[in-house]
Amino acid sequence: MLCQYCGRNPAVIHVKTIENGELSKCSLCSECARELGYGNLLTGLGQDFNAILRDFFSGPQEREEVRCKCCGATFSEIARSGKVGCSECYKTFYDRLLPIVQQIHGSVSHRGKVPGAGLPQVRQSGQLSVMRQKLREAIDSENFEQAAALRDSIRALEKGGEP
Amino acid sequence: MSRWYEEPGAENDVVVSTRIQLSRNLAGVPFPTRMSAADRHDTVRRIHEAVFDPNSSLSDSFQFVDMEELTENQAVSLVERRLVSADFISDHAGRALMYAADESAVLMINGEDHLLIQVSAGGLEPDRAYEQADRIDTILNKPLRFAFDPEFGYLTQSPMDLGTGMIASVFLHLPALTDSGATPRISSNLSKLGLFMRGVYGPAAKPLGAVYQLSNHVTLGLSEPEAVANLKSMALQIIAQERAAREKIVRNIAIKDTIWRSLGILLHARLLSTEEFFSLISVVRFGVAAGEISGLSYEKIAALMLHVQPATLAEESGKRMASVEQQALRAELVREALKEMGRQ
Repeated sequence: MLCQYCGRNPAVIHVKTIENGELSKCSLCSECARELGYGNLLTGLGQDFNAILRDFFSGPQEREEVRCKCCGATFSEIARSGKVGCSECYKTFYDRLLPIVQQIHGSVSHRGKVPGAGLPQVRQSGQLSVMRQKLREAIDSENFEQAAALRDSIRALEKGGEP
Repeated sequence: MSRWYEEPGAENDVVVSTRIQLSRNLAGVPFPTRMSAADRHDTVRRIHEAVFDPNSSLSDSFQFVDMEELTENQAVSLVERRLVSADFISDHAGRALMYAADESAVLMINGEDHLLIQVSAGGLEPDRAYEQADRIDTILNKPLRFAFDPEFGYLTQSPMDLGTGMIASVFLHLPALTDSGATPRISSNLSKLGLFMRGVYGPAAKPLGAVYQLSNHVTLGLSEPEAVANLKSMALQIIAQERAAREKIVRNIAIKDTIWRSLGILLHARLLSTEEFFSLISVVRFGVAAGEISGLSYEKIAALMLHVQPATLAEESGKRMASVEQQALRAELVREALKEMGRQ
């Protein structure tokens, strides 16, 4: 589909607006989206979210895909739709979502509000956060064997067991 | 009771309003795209209970609306009155909203995420709007325990919103920058910084009334006060550019003539299309800021912009109207609203 504004480039963003009392849809290419102020963190940099998801999902198909225990989503479903299935998916597919999050936001972690201040809460153990840091480094340096081992240990720790 | 847009705010010669939105989700419940009808129903029930809990300090101020019970026209009117986004009404199934009597706080349920907390304020007031949104979030988190991860922050359906889950926006009236053709360049430059500036009213490609939404979409790696401060500093730069551009043209007799002619048409017209209304009210707002027109407040202009759009007019009159009828009602409401400003 071509951009409805310039009519030249392929549309990458679909926006909904209200026109003359009715809901209307408009498809824009990334350049027009930037000029008209639509888009997301990636189109601003000339990147396409779907293309990034495809890149991260270009590996060989697994025969029996892992499904999230909470919502039943597989990683390929998440990559196809760009939508994560539920909050548990962020744990289930941590090692595969992390590079996508890094690509979108840069190599950063949350610095904002922490909910429930004043309420008793489960604190992430120091060991777990060190292991997650190591996992990030392993993925960054493409040391996938080490990453896989770390991922398994992190999962075991999260379930309350010993690594 | 007066509405939030009827209260004056800072820098209101250029800034129409400020809005903070926080995306939140319930842990262990599928995100909206994967929800069953039962999940949706249950999520609405849980959030409803949390808001209307007699011990909650929110309970007396909110009204509940089941989106499934609304006609399409009523839903569009909600967007015109800036209570919800166009995306939120694109599907009514299992969605609901709650809003405060002054409409400053809105809770949207089962849209892109389980809950979107939205707080609006007149003028440039991002700190005050954030404080109120933060307060609602803190109150609702106690019974609902929103999904959160120390590394990713608030967990959201789209990985783009991870972190604070906050989109902070300032709505700017930029007639002089629009006139000089500067807005596409400004929007394009901002997009590289994770900020967006888009038209608010009418078609995406041809916005009406020179009102723009400037918003900060960076959610991970900076705190809410930092994101609000970044937005505010960028807004102040654009405000300075707009004021400078106005300064250049305001003494021009042709511009003064346009201001007074626009007011004349609004005061006396018997038919006004949406496009014509927005283009005239934009010039008149500029005339008020330039000190040419007196006796007309920014708040009255803001209220008019929200209330004379097509779906809202149809709600007001209780029926779907032919185009001429709609234009006549719009012209009548505008004359009525401007009558009190007296003869100039």
